[in-house]
Amino acid sequence: MLFHWVLLSLALFSVGIYGVLTRRNAVGLLISVELMLNAAAINLVVFNRYVAPAQVDGQVMAIFVMALAAAEVLVGMAILVMLFRKRKSADVTKMMGLRH
Amino acid sequence: MNETLFYVLAGLSVFGALATVMTVHILRSAIYLMGVLCLSASFYVLLGAEFLAGIQILVYVGGIVVLLVFAVMLTRSDDLDEDRPTWPRKIVGAVGALSFFSVSAWLLSQSPFAEEKVLETSNVDIKSIGRALLDTGSNGYVLPFEVVSLLLLAVLIAGIVIARKEPQ
Amino acid sequence: MSIIENPWIIPALPLFSFLIVGLFIRPVSGKLAGIFGTLSIFCAMVAAYTLAWQYFSLDHHGGGARSALLPFSFEWLRFMKGMTVNFGVMVDSISVMMLTVVTTVSFLVHLYSTSYMHGEDGYGRYFTYLSLFTFSMLGLVVAPNIFQMYVFWELVGVSSFLLIGFYYQKPAAVSASKKAFIVTRFADLGFLIGILVLAYFGYQVQLGGVGVNAGQAVDFTFLSNPEVLTKLNEMGVLTLALILVYAGAAGKSAMFPLHIWLPDAMEGPTPVSALIHAATMVVAGVYLVARLFPAFSAAPNALEVVAVVGLFTSAFAAIIACTQDDIKRVLAFSTLSQLGYMMFSLGIATMEEPLGYTAAMFHLYTHAFFKALLFLGAGAVIHSVHTNDVWKMGGLKSKMPITHFTFLIAVLAIAGIWPLAGFFSKDEILSAALESHRYFHFYGGLVIAGLTAFYMARIYFLTFWGKARSDNASHAHEASAVILIPLVILSVLSCTTGWIPFAHFVAIGRELPHTGINMAVAIPGTLVAVIGLLASFFLYRTGDAKTVDGLVSGFGGLYRVIKKKFYFDEIYLFVTHKIIFRFVATPVAWFDRNVVDGGVNLSGWTTRKAGYFLTLMQTGQLQTYGVWFVLGAVVVSTLFWMTVN
Repeated sequence: MLFHWVLLSLALFSVGIYGVLTRRNAVGLLISVELMLNAAAINLVVFNRYVAPAQVDGQVMAIFVMALAAAEVLVGMAILVMLFRKRKSADVTKMMGLRH
Repeated sequence: MNETLFYVLAGLSVFGALATVMTVHILRSAIYLMGVLCLSASFYVLLGAEFLAGIQILVYVGGIVVLLVFAVMLTRSDDLDEDRPTWPRKIVGAVGALSFFSVSAWLLSQSPFAEEKVLETSNVDIKSIGRALLDTGSNGYVLPFEVVSLLLLAVLIAGIVIARKEPQ
Repeated sequence: MSIIENPWIIPALPLFSFLIVGLFIRPVSGKLAGIFGTLSIFCAMVAAYTLAWQYFSLDHHGGGARSALLPFSFEWLRFMKGMTVNFGVMVDSISVMMLTVVTTVSFLVHLYSTSYMHGEDGYGRYFTYLSLFTFSMLGLVVAPNIFQMYVFWELVGVSSFLLIGFYYQKPAAVSASKKAFIVTRFADLGFLIGILVLAYFGYQVQLGGVGVNAGQAVDFTFLSNPEVLTKLNEMGVLTLALILVYAGAAGKSAMFPLHIWLPDAMEGPTPVSALIHAATMVVAGVYLVARLFPAFSAAPNALEVVAVVGLFTSAFAAIIACTQDDIKRVLAFSTLSQLGYMMFSLGIATMEEPLGYTAAMFHLYTHAFFKALLFLGAGAVIHSVHTNDVWKMGGLKSKMPITHFTFLIAVLAIAGIWPLAGFFSKDEILSAALESHRYFHFYGGLVIAGLTAFYMARIYFLTFWGKARSDNASHAHEASAVILIPLVILSVLSCTTGWIPFAHFVAIGRELPHTGINMAVAIPGTLVAVIGLLASFFLYRTGDAKTVDGLVSGFGGLYRVIKKKFYFDEIYLFVTHKIIFRFVATPVAWFDRNVVDGGVNLSGWTTRKAGYFLTLMQTGQLQTYGVWFVLGAVVVSTLFWMTVN
């Protein structure tokens, strides 16, 4: 059963990777990252349940993940809005600043 | 009963996730994400973490998704109304994701996990989560908790500083 | 402070002057640079004479060599235990003699130059180089080991190069300086190999327990130790090593066939020719052979090479000198000839018949003064006539009386007329040849002495007698007092130095019986000199080219060959350009340009193209990097798993 749970979170994570690699829209990118974070949080709770059911550490970690996800979205969105204001575009394929 | 429910929900969730990353309309993508997150909340219930399921709905669905929808609306532009990745991009992404999935799945299948007998009824309640979060002992999480609170404050300020209009 | 305990002060003074003049005074004032340089050399000269006085006042028991002192020495390089190279100052009879010669001539040349170089561009630079040269030469002279000598040997080579090329805007001066440098460097390669051979086998000998107390393997004291030399001879390396060392000496002293640089070196300023290319640097080769004389005497074959090459060079140069028209070139060939004289004198000496050694040193000593006098006199003439060609001079006897008189003394001195210096030293060389039963060298030396008298008288008559053969010559005037003072001092020295009982000061090996003038040598020696002078007198007295035309056409082709210096420059050019350049240098250059450079370019090209292809991966898009990251993570985790299991 544990293996199937892990496989589920892995599948969600991989789908998130696909989204991160293909999305052109920056908001789409953020959405995909949320998927991956969520998959990781599920993983934590699963192991909490199946390996150490008497403890709450996995759940606490999942709470932290959520807090971080919220923070990440907030900062990401702020950057996005600023970039959009400057470039009139949210297309990440046109952002090539890393090249130089 | 529980197992059947798990497979059905799992199938739905993976399907929802795929829809999230593949749909061309970004707003729909956000909605699908909301669905996946709700399904995740149901997984938490199945795993006996009801408190977490509630938090998931509150924070993720109520907060983050709404925020994302805001972002979509704020950055709406004509050239990106529909997000259609090119074929090479799709292939590369699929190769990356699939290879990651298969290698990880193979590795996991090779790994023996120390699986303990699952307790039928979870004796973990909200009180113990609260105690763990504020415990100053060796297994407590009070320091990360405080750090996260600081982080959230910092993010709040940073969001305002970054996104505010330049003073004229 | 006694100089004999601190002899380092003698080379240190010109070094100090070099640094001060070169760094601080030269940019400010050329005049001050000249005065400062001259004064510091004067101090060095005073110190050198004091040293000579103190050294020769030491107790001297019996005949043979005086003991060498090493009052100053410090460790410079330590290769390994028992193999170190020291820097120091060695005081013995020949180094003291050379110190006095070098400082005296250098001082007089400095003094002379303050007037001679007046108004030239680079006046300060000239004195900087002169100080550098003097320092290097003094360092060479006092070297207690062959390694230090090599270092200063190269330093004098560099300063010679700088001074020959002093007029660096003149292409002839530039090519002459390059020629001098390359030829002597080429010879120094032999010297260096010889040093390495001596050092290596000397070390082996020391490991064998022989000569452990005689100093380091490169010290001259070690290389003079009879046991060490026997051991080296048994190893069969001594002759080879000494011939290699002699190659370096031959390069510096311009022995045949490495003589080609010296006549061209006359492109430098005339005082430089007097100092470097007549009196001091070119005798470094002779000095080196004399320094290593105990070793050479243990290797008779090497000594024989010295003797034969010396005699041949001497005769060869004397013949060429008879035909040259450039006054400085005649003097250059005359220098070659006299150097050959010294060399063959060393070559015929042995530890049992050491007169040749003393005679060579004696001739070196006297020659330095009268040859410097000849060059400085020629410089004074050139300064007022503005040409080097003796056929454009003439009639200067009355216009430049003091120069004329001093030049005449020098000519008579080099010709070997009693009682001038050259007579005594030449007489001693010839009697050394006679006493060693080297009759070939004796008669060869006599002929050369006659030729020397002839060609020296030739330029003397052409320059000072007859009628002025050019406008400049007819308007010539006497040089300034600053130029004349060194001439007078040198002519006094040329008259008196012959009377020094030289064997009392410089000797080696068996004690020499104190003999006076050997009449069996003095009479034929004086006779050939007089014949040479008279022949010149009849041919060149009037300075009329017609008188000699008959003689020239009588010799015909032979004259032309000699006039062209036996076509040696042309042969060298042919060998270097047509053979070495074409068959060695050109293919090597092709190989270098196409294969070596090609290889370098290929690697550069490959790197650049690889870099270009890698930049294609650097799209600047976050997601491209994401793809590489994911694939990398996959590969790493796979590999990790495979290695763990």
